[in-house]
Amino acid sequence: MEIRHYLRAMNAENIKEWKIELTYRVDFIRGLFEPLIFVLPFILYGIAIVGGKYSENLEKLTGTGDLITYTVIGYIFMGFLETAVWGMGFALRKEQWYGTLEQVFAAPVPRWVYVMGMALHSTIHQGLIILMQSVIIYFIFGLVLDISGILPSLLIIGIMMISLYGLGILLSSLVLIFKEGWIISEILYSFIIIVTPIAYPLAVLPSILQKISMYMPTTYGITTIRHFLIGEVSTFTVFDAVLRLLVIGAAWVIFGLFIFNIIDKRVRNKGELGTY
Amino acid sequence: MDNIIVSDLTKKFVKKGKRKLLRREKEDILAVDHISVKVKKGELFGLLGPNGAGKTTLVKCLATLLIPDEGTATIDGHDIITDPISVRKILGITTGGERTLYWKLSARDNLKYFASLYGLSSKDAEERIDYLLDIMDLKEKQHQRLEKYSTGMRQKVSIARAILHDPKILLLDEPTLGLDPSFSMFLRSFIKNDLNKKEGKTILLTTHYMDEADQLCDRIAFVDRGKLIVVDTSKNLKRNVSKNEALEIKCIGNIDKLENFNAHIKNKKNYTKIRILHENTEDIMDDVLKDVKERAKILSVNVTRPTLEDVFVHLTGSKLEDEHE
Repeated sequence: MEIRHYLRAMNAENIKEWKIELTYRVDFIRGLFEPLIFVLPFILYGIAIVGGKYSENLEKLTGTGDLITYTVIGYIFMGFLETAVWGMGFALRKEQWYGTLEQVFAAPVPRWVYVMGMALHSTIHQGLIILMQSVIIYFIFGLVLDISGILPSLLIIGIMMISLYGLGILLSSLVLIFKEGWIISEILYSFIIIVTPIAYPLAVLPSILQKISMYMPTTYGITTIRHFLIGEVSTFTVFDAVLRLLVIGAAWVIFGLFIFNIIDKRVRNKGELGTY
Repeated sequence: MDNIIVSDLTKKFVKKGKRKLLRREKEDILAVDHISVKVKKGELFGLLGPNGAGKTTLVKCLATLLIPDEGTATIDGHDIITDPISVRKILGITTGGERTLYWKLSARDNLKYFASLYGLSSKDAEERIDYLLDIMDLKEKQHQRLEKYSTGMRQKVSIARAILHDPKILLLDEPTLGLDPSFSMFLRSFIKNDLNKKEGKTILLTTHYMDEADQLCDRIAFVDRGKLIVVDTSKNLKRNVSKNEALEIKCIGNIDKLENFNAHIKNKKNYTKIRILHENTEDIMDDVLKDVKERAKILSVNVTRPTLEDVFVHLTGSKLEDEHE
């Protein structure tokens, strides 16, 4: 009974966010195209440096030489990191800004349910953007993908999202106590982007960053997705990747919830819940 | 039977002061100072006190939005610290401030969202929302965004949200604050007649409007500087003031105090109001008027019974409009 109540609450959060978002129509449309504009300079830069789509060195390092497809897949699927860092991370701050956080928290639903509702919304939102980007880039640059790899890739994304939700829960609480919480999000986002093999293979990172990269779910997520879609070769097997994603996911979610509960208590002790 | 039992509840906040080298000065502020009170089932109970007295902090503790530093409270038998979810299920709450709803959504969408949070099924929610929009006279504008509503209409939506899940107990924090007289009248009558008398809900209402407390509440608690001063019916509170007449003079002029009388003076925007409590105001009338006439132009003179505000001033020495730091 409670689970049904919580699921309904999550869905209500998702629907509410869509309704609010769609009241800003122009901004909504801009948001759909914005990531596309970010990825184009990467691609054009790559083409200019390599002198075409194919890179011999990339093939040596990853088993695939298609620079554009390699970068585009990495970049597009990293969009889900935005879901965690910005979508979920700012879920509660947004409610503070609306002035509704106290009223929402007065309802008989655990606090994390709101954050997960926001996660649902952000995931669907990001999914739409990714779908649109993929179709446009597929036709403009003629990406060559292994279609049979799409389904397993979606499964990998699903598993990777567990960790990202853990990160999102953690960030959503941190922004409640830090006035300029976006700085924490920005630092974490930039750090994860650097140590994740998005536009370059792991081998080009300094060894210390390579080691850190092994604790990032995005490393296993992106590499395995590219393995299924364009045959990227990596130092770990698919089984290893799934196992590590599950372990890291569980750890991040537990840590995220742990910090979230501590901060929830702190803001209720200090009376900072409704303040922005 | 008591629906709300507050036992020795204390809440303090830390106020940050000036920074001194590496350390920042800090000062503890007791917002709620060891308050104990019981609210009976079906009672409309008022917390009356000036802004900053600790009323909202107490309400937020009861609504599980704040954790008390000492003491606790039970709502219909559920402890606010150890069983917050059960407490939230049986509570309806309106907190002050206009922006407690989503202004970009319509009244209906706002209510639908909160109905889901309170666990109402879609069918039940639709029926309940229809009913509430109807009694709040908002049906015609139910699909309009709240940003286009007046303050009073938004407050109606806010009350509708508080009673969406038909809670046994309501916490209404300054429900008529900033509303025009007609909306205030409607809400006061709705709270007293519909929610309290007809539906039998237990209501804890905070206000700094003495008329509101006087009109609505079965019992009233005076709160000042975080402390509960007294709890009684309005009638008994007024009876406790030994002086049974109040001389009220409205005048234009700059008067801060009257040397020979214990007067409470309020400087309003267009006039000054002087109130003096006395056993028999006839005895002092001439002297007071003479004193005032020398310094101001008298607009009106009235002799009334002591009001709740007089009782409050008598007991606390504070005025209800006072704002404590």
